[in-house]
Amino acid sequence: MSTDRAHSPERFDPRAVDRPHPLLLRHYTIVAALTGPMFPIIWLHSYCRYATLRYRFDEEGVWMAWGVLFKREINLAYRRIQDIHVTRGLIQRWLGLASVAVQTAAGAATPEMTIEGVLDADGLRDFLYARMRGARDEQALPRDESGGDEVLELLAAIRDGVAGLRSRVERLEGAYGGPSGDSKA
Amino acid sequence: MSRAAERTTAWVYRGLWGVLVRWLRVPREQPGAPPGSGPVVRSVKPAPGFLRYLKFQFWLLLIVIDVVIIGVWAIIVVASPLAGIITAPLFWGVAIIPDIIAYAALHVRYDTTWYVITDRSVRIRRGVWIIREITITFENVQNVEVRQGPLQRHFGISNVVVQTAGGGATGPHGEGAGSHQGLLEGVENAGELRDLISARARASRGAGLGDEAGEPARRGFGPEHLAALRAISAEVR
Repeated sequence: MSTDRAHSPERFDPRAVDRPHPLLLRHYTIVAALTGPMFPIIWLHSYCRYATLRYRFDEEGVWMAWGVLFKREINLAYRRIQDIHVTRGLIQRWLGLASVAVQTAAGAATPEMTIEGVLDADGLRDFLYARMRGARDEQALPRDESGGDEVLELLAAIRDGVAGLRSRVERLEGAYGGPSGDSKA
Repeated sequence: MSRAAERTTAWVYRGLWGVLVRWLRVPREQPGAPPGSGPVVRSVKPAPGFLRYLKFQFWLLLIVIDVVIIGVWAIIVVASPLAGIITAPLFWGVAIIPDIIAYAALHVRYDTTWYVITDRSVRIRRGVWIIREITITFENVQNVEVRQGPLQRHFGISNVVVQTAGGGATGPHGEGAGSHQGLLEGVENAGELRDLISARARASRGAGLGDEAGEPARRGFGPEHLAALRAISAEVR
């Protein structure tokens, strides 16, 4: 599925995603229909989830929320991701959907966050993978920040300041004849 | 097996794969490597011994179940030959048809299992009805386990389990979607894989909990800071 495509890290940008794709509702409807007599209850429950589901992907992490009566919000930092599961059921494959489950080190058996209704699941996985720990060289990270090293700049400024003060003191001492400052007072 | 039968089986199996790809949307090709992985990408399938191991289990189960079914039918034949003839298609159908399906499913299971190992991560895909893919970076690996039963030892295979932090129950085959582990089932070179993965995990300075490995080094003073401080102390002396 993803082998033939070029893997540029920013092939897909989920920051534009804030709601699940309408196909997710179709998936929920089919799954609810398969339960037979339970259809109205399951469908209503699924519909509420679909209608209130919101995503927000930012620089550091992802936020998701849903719920009508019982609201739930999840915040998750990309750096805390332990492993990424992409699950595709038969109906999901027919519709072109997938569930992207993201796990952190919290001790739950179920994934901390399951992102549904994103069409390019492989793209989303690559996006998350590129931001999780160990996907790149860790040494590469501090390098770009140490470019503007404030501590070193301050030290250099102090050094130059002290050097300037010293030369001025030496010049004054030369003008007033010798370092014996006490006798003049 | 004769040549013609072999060819027929291969043809039937190809047809089955055609159905899988076309109607069940099972991807035929291996999963792609994660982005930014190095040039060393290994795609490992379970060892051929794994297929033999599965087939051995299959034959064992088949003999037990079919002996019971055919035994019951034989009793009916002895008791009443007419009832035996009438119920023959039913009994033989129940005895044989699930076996053919199970045998094909076993091959399909073997052919849909993929492990992609790069220098940074491992990706596992398995499943036919529900296709599960899991990606773990070696940086997050907490421990690597190698498991081998006596039967697996006979076939020269083992299971390598890569575990990340976090608890949770595992499925019957350790493949529950919620489990914090990746299962490399039926691999031949388990020792090599274990060494590779645990070397990567040991080289990591973090605890594998999403902590920044580069953080302490960045806060401290580097050689250029020390040079500047020495210059200042020389000036004020």
